[in-house]
Amino acid sequence: MSRVKSLVLLTIFVLIMSVGAFAQEQSGDITNWIDEPATPLAEDVRSNFFLTLALILPFLLLAEGLLIYVIIKFRKRPGREPAKFHENVRLEIAWTIAPAIVLVIIALSTYSLIERINYAPQSDMTVEVTAQRFFWKYHYPEHDITIAEEPLVVPEDTYVTLLGTSMDVIHAWWVPAFGVKKDFMPGRITELWFKARKGTYKGQCAELCGPLHADMLIDVEVVSEEEFEDWIAQKKAELQQAGSVPVSGDDEKGDESSKQQAN
Amino acid sequence: MADITVSKPEAGGRKAPLLLRIYDWLATGDHKKIGIMYLWFSFVMAFAGGAFAGIIRGQLATPDTGLVSPEFYNMIISMHATLMIFFVIIPALTGFGNYFVPLLIGARDMAFPRLNAFSFWLAVPAAILMFASFFTAGGANQAGWTAYPPLSLTSFSAGAGMDMWILGVILIGTSSILGAINFIVTTANMRAPGMNWFKMPLFVWSWLVNASMILIATPVLSAAVSMLLADRLFGTGFVTVSQGGDPLLYQHLFWFYSHPAVYIMILPGFGMISHVLASFSHKKIFGYKGMVIALALIGIIGYTVWAHHMFVAGIPAWLQVVFSMLTMVIAIPTGIKIFSWLATIWGGTIRFTTAMKFGLGFISLFIIGGMSGIVLANVASDYQFHDSYFVVAHFHYVLVGGSIMTLMAGTYYWFPKMAGKMLSEKLGNWIFWMIYIGLNVTFFPMHFMGIQGMARRIFRYRPEFAELNMLSSIGYVFMLVGGILLLYDLVRTVFFKKDEDLSADPWGVNDVQQTLDWEVSSPPPAYNFEKIPEIK
Repeated sequence: MSRVKSLVLLTIFVLIMSVGAFAQEQSGDITNWIDEPATPLAEDVRSNFFLTLALILPFLLLAEGLLIYVIIKFRKRPGREPAKFHENVRLEIAWTIAPAIVLVIIALSTYSLIERINYAPQSDMTVEVTAQRFFWKYHYPEHDITIAEEPLVVPEDTYVTLLGTSMDVIHAWWVPAFGVKKDFMPGRITELWFKARKGTYKGQCAELCGPLHADMLIDVEVVSEEEFEDWIAQKKAELQQAGSVPVSGDDEKGDESSKQQAN
Repeated sequence: MADITVSKPEAGGRKAPLLLRIYDWLATGDHKKIGIMYLWFSFVMAFAGGAFAGIIRGQLATPDTGLVSPEFYNMIISMHATLMIFFVIIPALTGFGNYFVPLLIGARDMAFPRLNAFSFWLAVPAAILMFASFFTAGGANQAGWTAYPPLSLTSFSAGAGMDMWILGVILIGTSSILGAINFIVTTANMRAPGMNWFKMPLFVWSWLVNASMILIATPVLSAAVSMLLADRLFGTGFVTVSQGGDPLLYQHLFWFYSHPAVYIMILPGFGMISHVLASFSHKKIFGYKGMVIALALIGIIGYTVWAHHMFVAGIPAWLQVVFSMLTMVIAIPTGIKIFSWLATIWGGTIRFTTAMKFGLGFISLFIIGGMSGIVLANVASDYQFHDSYFVVAHFHYVLVGGSIMTLMAGTYYWFPKMAGKMLSEKLGNWIFWMIYIGLNVTFFPMHFMGIQGMARRIFRYRPEFAELNMLSSIGYVFMLVGGILLLYDLVRTVFFKKDEDLSADPWGVNDVQQTLDWEVSSPPPAYNFEKIPEIK
């Protein structure tokens, strides 16, 4: 029975590990999106993920359970002859149709979401993102502000649309708590949207983009409306103070001046 | 049909001189010898790829161990994947195919023995190119095994390393295409009299479907990387944005090959495992026809799902729906296979040989890999998990838990036939448990890393992921020990153990299995059959 024992031990180990994995989540870190999704869309994505799990776990347990049962029950013992059957059309039809039904349910639950993931229901604010090895440059067209290598600051409960492109290779903008991810490519503009609760969120580039890919981190600060207004005013003042460079127009210069600010 | 065999050591007679024996191997057109060379080739490559995996897990054991530089890390992840896919799994399956397809259909050799040898000898320079690329200025491919432009273009990957990678991929691709032609012609024309399509063993079926997939998909990969090469060397504009090209074009072409490639890496394994499970539970395979239909369906639908790798790349929503749906459809024939395997063992008298352990281990792991595949086929989840460690967990369950476990099962099952000696079952037990536990400890935590938001292909990570990564790195050590034990046992048995004079059917399985491989002596004589067998 040692084999059975090992299997049982392994299962227990896996269970403990999974519990431990969820237990260590703290608020404020990147791992907490599953506890506290920051956007309504992320909540839907999470429940869709859990629904999928709920639908496939019975099959997983059924199949693994049958396997363990078979291993224990049908071991070779003296005097027992192997069965002779090798087909059963009804059974085969059953295990073709049952998964098909489950897949249809998963599919339907997803397809209502695809529209929402891809197209913002409305847009209160647009930020243009330019990805470049190995940082993000954000441009607020309505306020004529460009920042780089700084956290993206947006107001809470606002439909924010990000229009993204890349200066060099493909990057992907991913903040787990927002439940969205999108590739930004040279020569194309792709968009993603979110409407987030107040808080500080972390993310990172999710498409291999070169040596410092691991360091191409994303920070987003979602602040209240007033704080956002203050931040805009402060940024404008900073940019004007930075010298003769006019704030409007040229992205490159705006970027440089903001970098000086950062230093 | 085949070419001459210079020396065949007779039982009890003196062996030919060493040089002559080596020449005999190098110049052989015998499908069995070529098969064995493929197997050794992929085994050696597996240790290189495994060593690379060790560097990856070493670097990732803590948030930033500083074991390697970021540039070198990217070379290692790119080459780990390239080696494991193109130089380990596919050649190993080809090795078994070469050895056993002619045997199982009652043929004396492959249809084109010389072409068969040529296919193998193309793989060797391809491997040399891959390893040599490390020593070029700028080093090996750093753009991942997918080599997406623009990262793989000269502006970001200057140096000959990437060009050598591309040439290596084209060479090994040509090798598989030629091999595939050989398999298709052999299976179509050289079956023994009486062996109609529905009497072919499942391993032969799986290779037939597989060869058809290779024949259609691999040229597209060659086209994709050739475009990349042309853009790099001749300034053409297939995928270069500034020249009017489109990086998405490359992704479509690349995945048009590389998605079917995941089935190319598992279908022959499905075939092998069917033989193993039926043999050691002493029953006929359950639902043979259903199994054949499932294989064919996987082969066909496998072509229609490539864009599920590109859900977040900005393809239109309606395309996401189509590709998600088709991806889920593939779960159905795969499910049929799993349930049929369970029904095959059901009611049998199971003997827990090492081969059978790997077979049962395969089922338990492939179920997990399949289920996480459904999670990823679901567009909403994929938006979250794409390019995260969840994906890494998924495809390692499918490729290590699937392909490698089936290869191990096949190795233990067919080793006595190929070598005329048995591997140690005692060591085999250790090897199985080391690999089985090791791969679960390594890859299961990766699901959670991905769910929690860890991106893949990063060489350092936020401290939140430290514990799980350490666990994962510990798992690697188990697998390493298993691999070294296997190396030890293989070398010891093949080169130093005396011939055992095994019977034609050392497992005692052929009263139910009734395949031709267990009818001929172990190892089979040159040209396999004195008289071509007739199938009733």
